[in-house]
Amino acid sequence: MKNFREVAAGKKSLKKDYVAVMMWFMGRAIQAAAAVDMAARKEFAGMPDGFTFALSVMPNGPHMIIGKDQRGFVRYKGWDPEGKKIDLDMKIKNIEAALLLFTFQESTTLATARNRLVVDGDVAHACAVVRILDIVEVYLLPKIIAKLAVKRYPGWSFRRKYLGRMLIYVRSIFGL
Amino acid sequence: MYLPERYEFFCPVKINSGKRALEQLPFELDALNARKPLVIAGNDAGEKGLVGVIIDAFKDSGLAIGIHDGVPSAPDLRLIRELFNIYRDRGHDALIAIGGGSAADTAKVLNIAVSGKPEDIEGCAGENLIKKPLKPLIIVPTTAGTGYEVSKYAFFAGRDYASHFLMPNLAVIDPRMTIPEDAVTTAAAALIALTHAAEAYTGAGKNPLADAYAYTAIQLIMENLVNVIGDQRDKNGRLSLANANALAGCAFSNVALGVAHKLGKVMGDLCGLPPGLCMGMLLPRVLEREMSEGGYHIADLLLPLAGFDTYASTAADMKARRAAEIIHDLLKDLSAANGGVISRIWKDIQVSEDTLQDIAQRAGVNEASFDIDGCAKILREAREGR
Repeated sequence: MKNFREVAAGKKSLKKDYVAVMMWFMGRAIQAAAAVDMAARKEFAGMPDGFTFALSVMPNGPHMIIGKDQRGFVRYKGWDPEGKKIDLDMKIKNIEAALLLFTFQESTTLATARNRLVVDGDVAHACAVVRILDIVEVYLLPKIIAKLAVKRYPGWSFRRKYLGRMLIYVRSIFGL
Repeated sequence: MYLPERYEFFCPVKINSGKRALEQLPFELDALNARKPLVIAGNDAGEKGLVGVIIDAFKDSGLAIGIHDGVPSAPDLRLIRELFNIYRDRGHDALIAIGGGSAADTAKVLNIAVSGKPEDIEGCAGENLIKKPLKPLIIVPTTAGTGYEVSKYAFFAGRDYASHFLMPNLAVIDPRMTIPEDAVTTAAAALIALTHAAEAYTGAGKNPLADAYAYTAIQLIMENLVNVIGDQRDKNGRLSLANANALAGCAFSNVALGVAHKLGKVMGDLCGLPPGLCMGMLLPRVLEREMSEGGYHIADLLLPLAGFDTYASTAADMKARRAAEIIHDLLKDLSAANGGVISRIWKDIQVSEDTLQDIAQRAGVNEASFDIDGCAKILREAREGR
């Protein structure tokens, strides 16, 4: 028995906190993008009113919950899935995979291709969420980083990119 | 494309390879309905930092794991008894083996005991004597080896086991776990994989699925082996070789053992040499012999060995000969890449004529073109460097 020991799983608190903060800001930015950007609005238009989706890290979070209310407005609904009806849950298999995603070492598309995500819900809506995440990342990140994070960097007009970026940052900070 | 009249192919092992692959373990265990794995590791895994990587991979999973890092290079039944008691008393429900062949073989044999009763270890030794599925088993290879992480074989305390139920549920190939080794060990392991893949690709059991595994394994070895021998820090190269080993192991588990494998294994055991080096030395000579007996699949081997350009520019009747030459060239390049150590080992092999006959006899080769005299002739040629 001298070579045996039992080890309880530790924590990765710092990594978890970083991902939680990124998810919190990303959630607010998605809400802002739905109001500011035409393409994001169009993607949300394809989802039924009352539709709620979550991006979660397995096994215990953090979570990012976004919902479309009955009037069609998109809202960031916080980080706690408790008591919420989730129609589409996109689960990242572990915190390290989430870290690759949120430090932009791997795009959402690549993470999906590498089997780092599990989708629980409608795949067509999951694809729409991935496209929305790409749009938001283009707004939030400088081109040199966003190119790593998205499937294809778009050739947006100066007005769309920079005015949109400003509006999304302001709305995200103030939660509008 | 060759399609045999009938073939079977079975490989239930999921392979999880690449960056942060280990962090998927809690997810994979959950899919296997397991909550408390027992990790079995070689006795050097702790000092190499491998146990720490595993513990780190389980952080945030909420799972408790048991770790036993005392598997020696030649484990015995006493260790199995100790591990059996730990598994039963601590309520474990899955096994994870970390390390080389000895840790994997220990886990496979322990799995027979924990899935039934300890006495089964004796009763299940042999071919296909395990009659029911075993507990979840995951193997994390740390050394390039014989494809043990995917194969249906286990060798433990003088007993041979072969059963599809011994195949693990999952093999995790993570670059953090493929530790640098000395050039001879790396070359020997890769040459075992090359022999397995080449003999699966050209042998009597050849079939389209084994071909797919063997083809990729050969390509990965040809593209990376010499570089890794020259620079052991080449992490991607080591990962490629680890993948090649797993792929060759899948192919090898589905075809009959080849002549170079059988002769090389016995030669290694009798002469105290790494079997991989013996197999590598014998492989081109076995192919040349098969070629002279009309083994037409050998020409196909040129494509994964040398790539499309060489294959296309080589006349049809020269392809097989060129394939054997390329393996001879690879052996020379390997020796050159590590300052001639490997070629000195080959030159220093002292095998008497009696031993040659003994190897040829013990190898149990039963192919039409390889009687005992034929095998002895190949061994003689290899010894004399012809």
